[in-house]
Amino acid sequence: MTQAEIKLCSLLLQEHFGEIVEKIGVHLIRTGSQPLRVIAHDTGTSLDQVKKALCVLIQHNLVIHRVHKRGVVEYEAQCSRVLRMLRYPRYIYTAKTLYSDTGELLVEELLLNGKMTMSAVVKKVADRLTETMEDGKNMDYAEVSNTFVRLADTHFVQRCPVVPATENSDPGPPPPAPTLVISEKDMYLVPKLSLIGKGKRRRSSDEDATGEPKAKRPKHTSDNKEPIPDDGIYWQANLDRFHQHFRDQAIVSAVANRMDQTSSEIVRTMLRMSEITTSSSAPFTQPLSSNEIFRSLPVGYNISKQVLDQYLTLLADDPAKTLLSDLDPRHEDLHKALGCLSTASLESVVQERFGSRCARIFRLVLQKKHLEQKQVEDFAMIPAKEAKDMLYKMLSENFISLQEIPKTPDHAPSRTFYLYTVNIPSAARMLLHRCYKSVANLIERRQFETKENKRLLEKSQRVEAIIASMQATGAEEAQLQEIEEMITAPERQQLETLKRNVNKLDACEIQVDETIFLLESYIESTLKRQ
Amino acid sequence: MAEVKVKVQPPDADPVEIENRIIELCHQFPHGITDQVIQNEMPHIEAQQRAVAINRLLSMGQLDLLRSNTGLLYRIKDSQNAGKMKGSDNQEKLVYQIIEDAGNKGIWSRDIRYKSNLPLTEINKILKNLESKKLIKAVKSVAASKKKVYMLYNLQPDRSVTGGAWYSDQDFESEFVEVLNQQCFKFLQTKAETARESKQNPMIQRNSSFASSHEVWKFICELGISKVELSMEDIETILNTLIYDGKVEMTIIAAKEGTVGSVDGHMKLYRAVNPVIPPTGLIRAPCGLCPVFDDCHEGGEISPSNCVYMTEWLEF
Repeated sequence: MTQAEIKLCSLLLQEHFGEIVEKIGVHLIRTGSQPLRVIAHDTGTSLDQVKKALCVLIQHNLVIHRVHKRGVVEYEAQCSRVLRMLRYPRYIYTAKTLYSDTGELLVEELLLNGKMTMSAVVKKVADRLTETMEDGKNMDYAEVSNTFVRLADTHFVQRCPVVPATENSDPGPPPPAPTLVISEKDMYLVPKLSLIGKGKRRRSSDEDATGEPKAKRPKHTSDNKEPIPDDGIYWQANLDRFHQHFRDQAIVSAVANRMDQTSSEIVRTMLRMSEITTSSSAPFTQPLSSNEIFRSLPVGYNISKQVLDQYLTLLADDPAKTLLSDLDPRHEDLHKALGCLSTASLESVVQERFGSRCARIFRLVLQKKHLEQKQVEDFAMIPAKEAKDMLYKMLSENFISLQEIPKTPDHAPSRTFYLYTVNIPSAARMLLHRCYKSVANLIERRQFETKENKRLLEKSQRVEAIIASMQATGAEEAQLQEIEEMITAPERQQLETLKRNVNKLDACEIQVDETIFLLESYIESTLKRQ
Repeated sequence: MAEVKVKVQPPDADPVEIENRIIELCHQFPHGITDQVIQNEMPHIEAQQRAVAINRLLSMGQLDLLRSNTGLLYRIKDSQNAGKMKGSDNQEKLVYQIIEDAGNKGIWSRDIRYKSNLPLTEINKILKNLESKKLIKAVKSVAASKKKVYMLYNLQPDRSVTGGAWYSDQDFESEFVEVLNQQCFKFLQTKAETARESKQNPMIQRNSSFASSHEVWKFICELGISKVELSMEDIETILNTLIYDGKVEMTIIAAKEGTVGSVDGHMKLYRAVNPVIPPTGLIRAPCGLCPVFDDCHEGGEISPSNCVYMTEWLEF
């Protein structure tokens, strides 16, 4: 774990869970796997607090436990999982686009609570949705359950591993920590529940909007005491599936940019068809014949078979990407596609930072793999002095590296060839590290801005609370206005700017996270290939 | 009776006669004659006389001495040249010969020194002399601006020395290259636009958006923005820079010999393309472009809390 990653994890943990959890979490990330007592001793917190913090972290899948030999239980933090917390807004947004508001709230609840049972999450979401609906309408549990089932079918949510059902004749003492297992088949099996009911509105004591007879209320409250039918079956969000979806999205939009809309639709169909059959880390999609593709195209695109074939040939022939194989059945080379995308990210970073001529040199060295200084100048048609300057600048920033080829055994500099080359995985890692640090900087700046204006924020909160309570008690217009004027115009202005800045910083974090996703997927895919 | 020793005088023992015969022989064989040939022609002349005659001709500047793999060759010297070198001495002639051999690539003064084994001062004097006589000239090489190569006065310097069409007076013409760059790109872009708007079958669309290097060359020539004559290879180097800019892609197809613009049985086609992704996320943050990124940490002189770039960016 690099320094930048640890810093980012500590900021995220602090923002989401507070100081104590952050301390424990960062300690675990830094030192690896540790037993309980050692954690308590090293961080200087009481055993009780450490236990609570670990509970929180385990609930959110950030820490796993393992039985070491000799029966010691050790806890290990997963740094990469902590970094995913940055991406929660993107997951929620994806669920919204695919399954509308219900899906969005379901995923949000699961992410915020780590693990939940199906009935609990369905109930909660129904309640939330009911609040936002008009008066007199309620959200039916059945609808929410349907969306949940659909999420499970497309593998966006999965079951958490459970303690295996042990036989009763278990000799000896039970193990110190349960080992959790889950079989592949069961992961997406939705339990048969019949959740009947409707979402409840949260009422204040005076409201009696729907006019439900008071007699019925005790019955509703007694529902809570019944045993929940699916106790013990917990669900969590399946992040790998979301990542697969993001990757597909990135490929489709790249194809749309490079060619046209129709080709991107074809690629999207192909990827969708192999969504569930391919595991998330496979380098190739399943082979599909062009007939299958033709049949599965969305209804709106009535293009003939020959046109489809032509598009497929074009996609296969594309000199830049060579996504598809030319044979029928065709499959997509996902590793190459990811490589292409991350190379494009590298190129755009070079272009924005150093200028378009530097970008030209960078792409030139990328394409030709190894070049001498003189050849670079000739191919790129840039005067020698400037070319030299740019090459050295990029070299100092580690985008380009040198390869020495000596002519003599004593490696004398005047008799050695020096070739410039781009090592893509290493440049990608360098850029990734920079991304982590940038996000940490953005978060810090956001916290700083909030802290600066803390006094003002507290004041505005107080004023809002006063106004709300006064409105509830039915105060007059004049009094409300008087209280609103407690916040002066420049202060209002300041608040506006603060809100705008915080939003901007937040949005920027998410944008940098997109780059992080591309680079991480590429590096993972490269490691798997080796 | 006293014996009269009669020295049989060979008929043309006269040295001048020998020289004339040799010169005639040289005229007969303009490529040069070996010692063997002279001997065959005039078998009655002794080797010593032959050598004297040849030396005289050499010093008079009428014969050239060359070495070939069979032995020494004697060649008649061009009379015009012979006139030129009248006033010069042997060393100058040697240097001149070395420069002449270098052809239109020219030769560096150090290389002249190696070949002639003359000291530096002598070489410099001779070079100055020859230059003032307008027999040689110095041309500045484009590769190293301090290096001067010498070549014969009336020769056109080779492309590798002057740099070709992109250099005028040893200066790289960046604006010229830029202008050509943009013009080529615009041409390809309009072609792609018209192809896209024709809304036909995608294969035809793509094929019609291609332009061969020959077409681009014709277009540029017709535009007339270049004062220097540009060849198709020049245009191809410009199109290559567009490829490295990521704006254009190239494919090579096999073409029949004889179709317009084909080289060695294949043709290069170029097409304008869009970039694959929009500027990536990291660039949208000020940290992505920050020059002092490595010095920035919380609590230091440069930190996110007091970052000037962030403040400016937030004010947008």
